[in-house]
Amino acid sequence: MPIISRGFRGRRQEGPPDRVPPGQYLTDDFPVLSAGPTPHTSLEEWTFTIEGGAEPVSWSWEELQALPREEVTVDIHCVTKWSKLDTAWEGVSVDTLLDAVEHDKEYALAYSDGGYTTNLPIEDLTDGKAWVAYRYGGEPLEAEHGGPARLLVPHLYFWKSAKWVRGLQLLDEDEPGFWEQNGYHLYGDPWREQRYWGD
Amino acid sequence: MAGTAVLGRLTWLAATVAATNEETPRVHTLTLDVAGWGGHRAGQHLDVRLTAEDGYQAERSYSIASAPGDPLAITVERLEDGEVSPYLVDDVAEGDVFEVRGPIGGYFVWDGDEPEPVLLVAGGSGVVPLMAMARHRAQVGSTAPMRLLYSSRTWDDVIYRDELATLGIDVVHTLTRQQPPGWSGYTRRIDDELLREVAFSAADGPRVYVCGSTRFVDAAADGLVRLGYDPRSIRTERFGATG
Amino acid sequence: MTVEERVLDGNAAGGLLLELFGVDLTAAPCMCGGCGAREEVARLDVYVDCPGVVIRCRHCRNVMITIVRGPERTWIDLRGTSMMEF
Repeated sequence: MPIISRGFRGRRQEGPPDRVPPGQYLTDDFPVLSAGPTPHTSLEEWTFTIEGGAEPVSWSWEELQALPREEVTVDIHCVTKWSKLDTAWEGVSVDTLLDAVEHDKEYALAYSDGGYTTNLPIEDLTDGKAWVAYRYGGEPLEAEHGGPARLLVPHLYFWKSAKWVRGLQLLDEDEPGFWEQNGYHLYGDPWREQRYWGD
Repeated sequence: MAGTAVLGRLTWLAATVAATNEETPRVHTLTLDVAGWGGHRAGQHLDVRLTAEDGYQAERSYSIASAPGDPLAITVERLEDGEVSPYLVDDVAEGDVFEVRGPIGGYFVWDGDEPEPVLLVAGGSGVVPLMAMARHRAQVGSTAPMRLLYSSRTWDDVIYRDELATLGIDVVHTLTRQQPPGWSGYTRRIDDELLREVAFSAADGPRVYVCGSTRFVDAAADGLVRLGYDPRSIRTERFGATG
Repeated sequence: MTVEERVLDGNAAGGLLLELFGVDLTAAPCMCGGCGAREEVARLDVYVDCPGVVIRCRHCRNVMITIVRGPERTWIDLRGTSMMEF
């Protein structure tokens, strides 16, 4: 039994239970979590590609910008226990991107500059549940927070919202990504507190 | 019981605060009484773990400030957005208890039997493990030349200011933000020219210990390499940004 | 503060490694599985601002060690380290 330190609370805020999943605390700032150096890809080089369908489909930055843009305000939940409510993003719905691809796959592996990967069922990327987001809080998405564009999948723990996303590989089977290979839950539903393998 | 849980129980020790001392308004030294503490080497650190009543835990690392022969002490700087340091600097009182793990570190250590000159380069609270080395040198009567280059924002931010002058080592301060009236010392961030003026000649084969923020440490180490220092003679410890 | 400014070194992972391996590994030389560079753990780049601890080679940035601590289990991935000496 660890020793309790008199008066220590840490900087935590509880939040309304219908908005804040179990085990989470509210934060006002936007912590930067990173497992590696921040990549910097020029917009001229940047592409987003979906592979694994009938043929690969790619968009350049300009082409992505030309697609219908949505503004969404969502709550986000990091597995390291902080939650941030009402975050404002703009980007392209993954539905729009997947509509351009003929495929019969069930799973996806998102991959990013710098080598990060994360896996999701395609069902969790569709029906208005996911975006490729390139603006946050009314401004272009900063590199530290995943810019020029990141995946945004707010209904799952935020490690699934891959920063610096460059594409999706569509797959027949669920293939664990970076954190999923190292103990984190394959699916990651914050409302069922699915943080680690076997949760 | 899982293997890691057993080792965990063996590594965390109860630390009782025996005394607190203000070094500067933001920096306090805590002297600790730790049952089962096996001693330490100059340069090592320990980890502090705080547990709240609801089980919430936070851990941070702090360099040991005391020489191996003296009562165990850590020096903590309060970081504005910190979670642990404000508790340790503002709230903690004699008799309070928390957990510590250590001592840790087999690389950033100086034992005092090495004859080479020692250059210590400190950025802000990076001076703490270097102070343990300077205190240790005085205690064991080592005659290895030792010089401290210490960068602080203002004179009031200089930790251990008075004691540093009594330890029998060269101390060169640079005050980067504000200087007291009549200050004739350095007033800028460490650069190649400053290093050239202050550091031992590379030909003397000195050992170097650099401690501070990542940016400070990388800049100082790169500068020393440009001066001809063997990169393997430079040992660095990067302090965290979190508190 | 940027990510680059928050990267630490192997000294910061020393306590965790001590608890997991029972040995102080900060001075332990290890070889990067990516580029073959040989450095003490203290001279590796350590990222602690993420859902685990990620230790990378300072030369080629390859992930050498990943550690995740769950409430009752710990996962260690050493694939990127081809040798560790202690």
